[in-house]
Amino acid sequence: MEEKVLEILEEYCEEALTYDGDSMMEDGIIDSFTVINIVSELEEEFDIEIDAKYVVAENFKNKEAIIALVERLLEE
Amino acid sequence: MGQKFDRVVVIGYGKATGNILKYIEGQRTAYGYHLEFIEHESHALSITRKICEEMDIPYSFMPDKQELSAYLCGIMEKTLIVSASNNFLFPAACVEKENITIINFHNALLPDYPGRNAPSWVIYQGERETGITWHYVTAGIDEGNIIVQKRCAIGPEDKAYELTERLMDLACEGFEECFAAVLEERAQTTSQGNVSGRRMYRSYEVPGDGFFELSEEPEAIYRLLRSVDYGKNDIFPHMQTVVDGVRAEVVRYRKIVSEKKKVEENVVYLPLSGTHLLKMKYRIL
Repeated sequence: MEEKVLEILEEYCEEALTYDGDSMMEDGIIDSFTVINIVSELEEEFDIEIDAKYVVAENFKNKEAIIALVERLLEE
Repeated sequence: MGQKFDRVVVIGYGKATGNILKYIEGQRTAYGYHLEFIEHESHALSITRKICEEMDIPYSFMPDKQELSAYLCGIMEKTLIVSASNNFLFPAACVEKENITIINFHNALLPDYPGRNAPSWVIYQGERETGITWHYVTAGIDEGNIIVQKRCAIGPEDKAYELTERLMDLACEGFEECFAAVLEERAQTTSQGNVSGRRMYRSYEVPGDGFFELSEEPEAIYRLLRSVDYGKNDIFPHMQTVVDGVRAEVVRYRKIVSEKKKVEENVVYLPLSGTHLLKMKYRIL
């Protein structure tokens, strides 16, 4: 799973792979439009639905947060 | 040139607003105005507050329309209000104040597609070109004189959010071109002409009335789905259709090459041009 998430991030935001901070939005690594693309790809890849309530900066603060979000949704 | 603007107030949200704020802050020393930002609508991924904190720009959150109206109407200094990606309609009492000038960014080429959600409507109508307009604000919606316009093509695969992003970039470009002229009150404008009777797009209107039949032209269905696609922003409800006699809503869709077709639960495929298929995942209502 993790590998797939990283592949998607690489496609839409390569910088996210090497980013080691805790706020990709505020640090200008990703913007809201990139998040839409990433969410769309994650939903398709893992056949999950990411509700709007999960699409908040905290869940996209770095690659680890995105992986953790997908993990949680796959467990639901 | 008349008396200079003492104050610049930016109202809006999103990427364009953030970039415009940064630009105006960068010009502040040269012109000597006081700059402030008002957020009227809150968005989960908004970073305008952070920009204000970093650049020491006074920030207010005013979700209440009456409070915002009263605040703007109470401004006494000569003020330029920059409305960027802003859905607040300025009351006539504010627009007509002599000390206030308002400019607004509209995400279409006025006088066409006035009102709300223009990127959706241009995709839905199959337009090949759209753009942005910076215009002076008058009491009528999107009726004021045009300051600057920028054009862009609409691609055959464009989704509403992708087009919106391009339009926001164009809005920043257009703003930087006209800001000095607006501040110095020397902007050359163009009248929109007689706009009475033109189609006004309202916030409650949904392309295709939010419904399609699976028997419709697949390219038209694809266009409809793209036109309302703002990711997780619930600007529009999920589009609905009928699958095997049961009402359903499309939860996601994509164009795929036919080799990738596989049997999945609650998925329908329709043929698009060439070897492509429109894949739609649905949920029974």
